[in-house]
Amino acid sequence: MTINIENEKLQEDTQQVESSRRNFIFGSVAAAGLTVAPGVMLYQTANARSLSEKATSKVRWGMLVDTTKKVDWNKCVDACNKEHGLDNEQHSRDDQKTQYIRVVDVKNKGTGYSMSLPVMCQHCEHPPCVDVCPTGASMKRPDGIVLVDRHTCIGCRYCMMACPYKARSFVHETLTDQTENTPRGKGCVESCNMCVNRVDNGQLPACVEVSDGAIVFGDLNDPQSDVSKLLAKHGGKQIRADLKLNPGVHYQGI
Amino acid sequence: MWLHQNFNSFFKSNGLHKLPLTVAGLALIASFNTVNASQDGLGPKITIQESSGKSCVLPSEQMRREHPDLLKHDRVQTLREGVRAQVDGSTLDGSLKQCVNCHAVKDDNNKFVRIDNDQHFCVSCHKYAAVTIDCFQCHRDIPEGSGDFHALSSHKDASYTNVVPGTYSITVKDMANIAPEVGSDDN
Repeated sequence: MTINIENEKLQEDTQQVESSRRNFIFGSVAAAGLTVAPGVMLYQTANARSLSEKATSKVRWGMLVDTTKKVDWNKCVDACNKEHGLDNEQHSRDDQKTQYIRVVDVKNKGTGYSMSLPVMCQHCEHPPCVDVCPTGASMKRPDGIVLVDRHTCIGCRYCMMACPYKARSFVHETLTDQTENTPRGKGCVESCNMCVNRVDNGQLPACVEVSDGAIVFGDLNDPQSDVSKLLAKHGGKQIRADLKLNPGVHYQGI
Repeated sequence: MWLHQNFNSFFKSNGLHKLPLTVAGLALIASFNTVNASQDGLGPKITIQESSGKSCVLPSEQMRREHPDLLKHDRVQTLREGVRAQVDGSTLDGSLKQCVNCHAVKDDNNKFVRIDNDQHFCVSCHKYAAVTIDCFQCHRDIPEGSGDFHALSSHKDASYTNVVPGTYSITVKDMANIAPEVGSDDN
């Protein structure tokens, strides 16, 4: 689904920063990734943990989305759907169907400038969805990943109302044939979990893998990580930073 | 119609708090009614699926009683804390994915049976015991791909064959011995 938003402030964003330079940087980042086998990227961090250890707050997972790259964000949506087995509802209306990533088209009517960006769960440091959850199902892992524990979710949908990014979806119908790694079913709220199963196993999130370097994933706490270096060099914007939720997802070019 | 009226008067006279008892009673009567005269023993049949020859993470007797605790414990570890394997790198004992991978049952067409089939490993027992499980409303009920038996490593016992595969009539008393004890901290 695509949403059109009129953005009055977009004019200042049209001043594009030397795109060739940025392409060079992102290109080298993509090349630095070590490809072990097709579709498998091993992810190294300074604070790597073994699979038998608990996630710790030494790591804060985050992303930097470069919207100036002319990437077809629907590729990311498709990869996401495939990874999590989404888009398999039979009876739900389009606006009821689960989306982990939405592609938002923005247009400044004054200048005619338009752009699009992927919006998923922003993995806030202070997530309002966690604050309002009456059962503790909506939770933030110590490493900053915000997700729903469906074992305790009662489907009240308070979190959907609390989320300023409209990141959460509710499953309206009985589902079958789920994927092994993303159990999901009727009566629970769900959202992007930053591909937590892949991240724990040292892989990149599905959307990052197919983004041609336009989304960089990494540890925001590690100044040597790709994402931290890029943020330190170019800065980045958080959507609705005024809410002071400190999202883990940052954007360039919005 | 009689049942309907009976229920109505029941609600008025005794209140709702005895409803579970009544339902249990009715279920018991119903189960006796379905006893097939041609069977050897009392009660409906239960089919024990053939084991793969590998042993489970705990001895069978313990698994029958304790598998809900294992699952509940490890779901907290995995989902909330991010622990995905044991220290030696093997799969967690309570990994439902691994349960399904090992215990998947194939039908005559060599396809995995799904959760709506009585032959499904979990269903075969749970239907007999009339204990509804919600796991597979969200979790995948069959393996992805061909299923596997490799990831189990804690072979603490090789006595899964103490029950020979086949179809049995198990008495209510037998089932009571198999079923987990009900604890007050069950949730």
